[in-house]
Parts: sequence; structure tokens; C-alpha cells
Amino acid sequence: MREPEVVIAGCGVICAVGCGVEPLLAALQNNAIGLRASEKFNEARFQSNIVGAASRSFDIDDPAWFLAVEALQQACIAAGKTLATIPAERIGLVLSTTKANIEALERVSDNRSCSDEAKRHLRADLFAADLAAAHGALGPVQTASVACVSGLVAISQGAKLIQRGAADAVLVVGVDCLSEFVVSGFTALKALDPQGCSPFDRDRCGLSPGEAGAALVLMRADLFAQPAIAIRAFGGSNDANHLTGPSRDGSGLALAIRAALHAVKMSPAEIDFVHAHGTGTGYNDAMESLALKTIFGDACPPVSGSKGMLGHTLGAAGVLETICCVLAMQHNFLPGTPRLLNAAEGTPPDLVREPRPGIRLENVLKLNTGFGGMNGALILSHV
Amino acid sequence: MQISTHELKSKIIESLKLQDITPEQIDDDAPLFGTGLGLDSIDALELVVLLEKEYGIVIKDIEEGRPAFRSVRTLADFIAVKRPQ
Amino acid sequence: MSEISVIATSTATAADLPTARLGQRFGRLDLQSQLALLAVASLNINFDELARDRIGICLAASAGSLSTDVNFWNGRNGVGGPSPTLFAYTLPSAAVGEVAIHFRLTGPNLCFVGDNKIILSEAADMLRRGEADACVCIFCEAVTPECGQIISVPPTATARAFFLKNDSEGTGTLAEFDRDIKALSAIIFPTQSAG
Repeated sequence: MREPEVVIAGCGVICAVGCGVEPLLAALQNNAIGLRASEKFNEARFQSNIVGAASRSFDIDDPAWFLAVEALQQACIAAGKTLATIPAERIGLVLSTTKANIEALERVSDNRSCSDEAKRHLRADLFAADLAAAHGALGPVQTASVACVSGLVAISQGAKLIQRGAADAVLVVGVDCLSEFVVSGFTALKALDPQGCSPFDRDRCGLSPGEAGAALVLMRADLFAQPAIAIRAFGGSNDANHLTGPSRDGSGLALAIRAALHAVKMSPAEIDFVHAHGTGTGYNDAMESLALKTIFGDACPPVSGSKGMLGHTLGAAGVLETICCVLAMQHNFLPGTPRLLNAAEGTPPDLVREPRPGIRLENVLKLNTGFGGMNGALILSHV
Repeated sequence: MQISTHELKSKIIESLKLQDITPEQIDDDAPLFGTGLGLDSIDALELVVLLEKEYGIVIKDIEEGRPAFRSVRTLADFIAVKRPQ
Repeated sequence: MSEISVIATSTATAADLPTARLGQRFGRLDLQSQLALLAVASLNINFDELARDRIGICLAASAGSLSTDVNFWNGRNGVGGPSPTLFAYTLPSAAVGEVAIHFRLTGPNLCFVGDNKIILSEAADMLRRGEADACVCIFCEAVTPECGQIISVPPTATARAFFLKNDSEGTGTLAEFDRDIKALSAIIFPTQSAG
């Protein structure tokens, strides 16, 4: 990506390990597991009831709004003083979500109570418009929905808006909620691990659904005084192979990584840490391992994944997991890979199981892949 | 009781919404997955649904179905053995 | 300054689907993916002449994947339970995936929910930044009657596609990239119906 540099001015999050960035930091440093047995999904028609649920009532009709607003408010407060100096017309918003407020579809179908606003937020573009209006963003608004790569695409889009002068700050918010819709869908695909996911484990057999609201305030670097973490580059590609199975050789993801490195003229050797997508399915983790081997050869940097802690949060994943990277970079540690016991054959040589403190991470590579052959690679750096 | 492979092929075509193909064009012994008809993992899941819906056979573990799904003939044999009488 | 040219444009509607000949598996695709794939096929681009990893896809779905979401949810109580096939299409980006698979396009993908204004400007930005040399742009409106009733939108089933290329001899140029697609195609290709 070209000038101007885009930095992260604030973060906000609500997820399986708590509400706020501080609980997430503590969880990362302690390798905590936020996956728990849920009564809501404790029925034979769901393949697993082990999920990453946020602390919220399941009786609300607009959980997507609840999670998104919580995250956005935290992020805006964190970016507070500087954000307040930017005119509203120069603040944009990019929403990342796969299912928006799908809760409303379930309620309407069952003739259960559902407010007009909750129904309105079934439509992701209207949901984004309302979020922008509620948070003083009168600049450009976009809604990215690119399966599980949505979050990274949204961050990339936010950065692009700033780089081409369409905005000086962009609120990037990723959200997806636990729902019967999603859990029954993954059950139909037999994609869930009944015991909870174990990324890169030799005994892994599926993913765990999760939910989160996660938000970043992106800002033009020259407007943000402190040392910061910059969004350096994004690379995307498609496997062009199968709708729900990644390309067997990892070549699509390798292409995305190469594109990101090329955009910022970085060599693989300059990457200090890779935060993987690591869903815990047989195919994904094997494919990701191959892609990393293709790019890094035998010199792969440390790799870890957070879905054993947070679950797979779909449209929120890219933003939430980028925040995990930001925290690791700000506090100089390598996150571990919760629920990984025995690394499978062929996985990266330095798969980090337990957190390692006291390590400076200059450049970090964040990966996500999604249904439809989507691949995304984001590079973050200290500036 | 053996079921006709012609009938089974019609049901496969209908369930998987295959276009521009007739039962006569599907060889009884050709592979269903990978090569041959070229079905994929989602189709395998739909065939499991087909077995339950049309023949009352419930497959608990997809691995159980794997050898049966090799070809139309192996699937027909599987149904003949497994279907509730 | 290199020009970004519009090489071709096309439209696909529900009426075109029964006669579409796009392979044995076309019937499995959801409505949105069928419309998108048919619109792209109707562009009549010979992708063999280009590097596949340098062709991007940029799609906007006016109603996300809600029509398929409603189909999936309404069908969940049938024998065999919720359909695995339908679930795979409960994403607006499934249509992007199908286009990529069919034409073997491995370049960058963008997929948005909302109106069409965004896709030309984002595709042009993709080309200007050198992320791709060409981009297939698709605007889909796939609203079934059942879906339309829930979101209070009239039913519709159309897709419009554009093929954008960097530095080339196309039949029209994009001077501004924020124009509405319908208005733009009416200007660039006045003989095509604005439909």
C-alpha cells in the first residue's frame, strides 16, 4: 500500500473471554480458553454445544447491534482525543459481517417478537448505515461480506479509503453472532468438533462456532501522535477450487501472502510472527501449513492461532484476531495456541503452544481463509 | 431386496440437481467421487440425506458411508442390505 | 496516466436461467450465484488470454444472501434436516466463489452488501494499485418473494456484469468511478436495455 501510512488509533472488543481489550490481553497472556458448553445448543440436532459465546443475553432481538455497538464505543473512546478533532464528514465506517442480525430471521419465522430495528439489521448495508450514524461517521460507509476473510478485507478497505483521501479516519467493525442458523448449518456440513476445536492438532476434527464484536479506529498516521501500529499491506486471492474446501496445496493462500509482501516490498524473512486462521478442521489447518511452507520454506517464523480461545467468529474474526496481534505487538509477547496438545505432522516447525513473553514483534502476518476459496493476508508493523 | 440402479440414478440426479444428464449416461460401476461423475464433499452429505429420505437408512458416521459411495452399484448393494424391511 | 477501460457489459435475469448451459452442476447453485455466473459468461471474455491470478472479482449483492438464507431456514425441518448445500450458499461471496471456480480466476476478491455504486470505484482502485490487471464487476439483485416479504423489498432477480481492464483498447472509459451502473451502462452501451 502507498502513502499515507494508516495506523490503529483504538480498539474495542466483546467476545468469549470478556468485554474489553484488557480481558482479551489477559486471556492471551494466560492462554485462556473461552469455549464453553452452551445449554442453547445442547440438543441432538446440533453437532456440538461447545461455543465461544460473549457475555450477553440470548433473549435480545438485535444481538448483532449489541455486540457491534459495544466494540465501537470502546474503540472510539480509546481513540478519543484524536478522533474528536476529525470532522464527521471525514470519518468513514466499514462493517464486516457474514450474517448481520440473522436472529431476526429466526424470530420472524417463529412468529416471536422482533422489533422493526432488529429486522432492519438483517440487511447488512442498513446495519452499517445505522452504526455509522450512531457513531458520528458521516464519511463513506461500506459493508464487506467476504466469508471468513471479511474482517481483513474491511480493514484493508478502511485503509484504502484513508490512502486515497476519501476519509481521515475509518471505524472498522466486525460482528457475527452465535445463532441456530449458523450452528445448524455447520452441523449439516458436519464441520464441528463435538469436543471443541483444537487448531493444528493431530486429532483435530472440526471447528467451534464463536461470536464477537470487534472494532478498530484506523487513522491517517500524521494525525496520530503516539507510536502506533500500522496497517502495511493486504493481499487477497481465490483458490478457484471448491466452495467449502480449500485448495489442497495451499497455493491460493500462498498467492495472497506473496501479494501482501510484494505490495510493501517486504521479504518473508522480515515477518516475526504469523497469526493463523487455524479453524481446527482437517483441511484448513493442513492447507495453511502447506502455504506457510511454500512462502517460508524451512525458516517459518513462530505461528499460533486463537480459535481454541475464541471460537470461529466468522465476519468478526479478521478484526478480532488482528486485535490479538496488536496486543501481542504492544506488549511484546507471542500468543499461544489454546487447545493445541499434539501438533499434527506437517504443521509449522515453531507452532507456539504456550505464550512466550519478552519478544518484540516488528512485523506480523495475519491470515484468514473462507468459504468460496477466499484467502486474505494482512501485514502489521510498528511505526 | 435389490433396487434398480436406474431408479437410484434418477434419484441422485434429482437430489443433486444435475443438469443435462440422463440415468443411461451414468455407468453403474464408474466412480461417483473425484473422477467419473465428479461429485464432491457437499454431494456426499446430500447423498446421506437422500439415503434417509428415500430409503430410511440413517448414516451416523460419514466414514461408514464411504465404501458404499464408491459407485452406483456399491450404493445400490448398500441400500439393499441396510434398508429397514 | 493509464486508462481503465470497460471492455464488455452484460445482464442476466431469471428468464435467462432455464436456457443457461453452464455445466452439469449449474442446478446446485443458488439464484444469486446462477445470475452472477450467467452474467459473467455473457460477457464473452476469453480469459485464456490473461494471467488468471491477475484478474479480480468485485461483487455487490443488494440483499446480501438473504434469499438463500430464507430458503435454508425454511427448509430446515425437512427430512434430513437443514441442507448442507443451501448452507454453503448463505454468503453473498458464494457467487464470487462460483465465478472464480468456473473461470479459474485466482486474483483478489471484493464482495459488498448494498447498492452498486461501490463496485466500479473499488475495482478501479484495485487496478490502479496494481493488485490486478483486470476485474470482473458484478451487481446482483436476488430477492425471492419470500425474502422480499421479510425485508419489504420487491422481488427481483437480475445481475449486471462489467469487465474492466487496465491500459487497454476497450469500448468505453471510466472517467469517474462513482457512477451508478445502470446509468453508466446506458451511457457506454446505449443500445443495451437499461432494464
